[in-house]
Amino acid sequence: MASSISLTHVESGNRLLNALRIVPGVLLLAGIGYAGKILEHSVNAYAKAHHWTFPNIEYVLWAILIGLVISNTLAIPRVFQPGIATYEFWLKLGIVLLGARFVLADVLKLGGVSLGLVVIEITVSLALMTLLGRLFKLKPKLTSLLAIGSAVCGVSAIIAAKGAIDADDEDSSFAIAAILALGALSLFTFPAIAHGLHMNDVSYGLWAGLGVDNTAEATAAGALYSDAAGKVAVLAKTTRNAMIGFVVLAYAIYWAGRGQAEAVTNEAAFLWKKFPKFILGFLLISLLVSFHAFSKEEVASLGNLSKWAFLLTFAGVGLRTNFRDMSKQGLRPFIVGALGEILIACLTLGLVVGANRIWGL
Amino acid sequence: MSTEKSASSASSKSSSLSLDTWAVIVALLLALAVKFDIFRNVPW
Repeated sequence: MASSISLTHVESGNRLLNALRIVPGVLLLAGIGYAGKILEHSVNAYAKAHHWTFPNIEYVLWAILIGLVISNTLAIPRVFQPGIATYEFWLKLGIVLLGARFVLADVLKLGGVSLGLVVIEITVSLALMTLLGRLFKLKPKLTSLLAIGSAVCGVSAIIAAKGAIDADDEDSSFAIAAILALGALSLFTFPAIAHGLHMNDVSYGLWAGLGVDNTAEATAAGALYSDAAGKVAVLAKTTRNAMIGFVVLAYAIYWAGRGQAEAVTNEAAFLWKKFPKFILGFLLISLLVSFHAFSKEEVASLGNLSKWAFLLTFAGVGLRTNFRDMSKQGLRPFIVGALGEILIACLTLGLVVGANRIWGL
Repeated sequence: MSTEKSASSASSKSSSLSLDTWAVIVALLLALAVKFDIFRNVPW
């Protein structure tokens, strides 16, 4: 009895220590994100007061840029690392809360269009990356990881696939580095191209959600264009994320058939294990809002909480992007990834423009 | 030995919640906090 009580004390003490370890990094994320928000306001106010014609740089870009400058010029002390790693938690929390800003009818309408486009995007992306991997003579499992990462959802898909197809650590870090580097580039290229093409918010949001690989970068690329585009980008990206289980299962069966991965014994359990559960939370919140469980003010509060969570995510996107580390990973996977991404961006742009003509998005 | 086992099984249970599940739990708690006026008119 006494020993079990003391063990419980030790356990709760360990948990408290683990929770405290994330505090410095979370404070850093919050500080950078808030600095981005202040910079947006003060730069705009200064430009207005001095009658300057200055582009409105959103807090999203400021937060990412501050993070990028810190991570690429300073050595971030180790004490901040556990907290910085929580950016993925803030991303998922932000997405679930974003459900408050969608009534279910919107989710079904936009989600239906997204689903059709996602199926085409995934099929073509997998074929394209496989072809490019063979042309550039990449290792077959590295090619599989790059294909899964660019077709579905970046880093999480690569991590999910790594275990399922029994890929080695080196291949997965090559693939993750290529996807992250290309995601960072898309933050700047996607909004610039869309402004050049005068895309509307829904079309651009769909394009960012379909064309940008990692969920955090897709969310940021959408929000960089406009708030409405950010919402649609998250919905399209979430639809893409929902496909992760099917794609990873197909690859696991393929590699198991070649005797190079463990056989999948229970497909349904495999699909459930790989399914991103936060999507269910997003749908639940959207369902509650659709059935008027929250007042207008409460919905606005939930939407704002989602924005605060994303603020920490955007700071994390900048902080974990280190160009020096990425350049160490070798050029060939990056070239294959870049070529594939450019072609996928063109394909998804064509799909969205086509969908806009047909359905008037 | 048995206490060790039960402690390790308890800790594995508590750590078995995925990041996704935590995100959903925290979001629902925040939604409840907004619903019951613990957080009122969250600013942006």
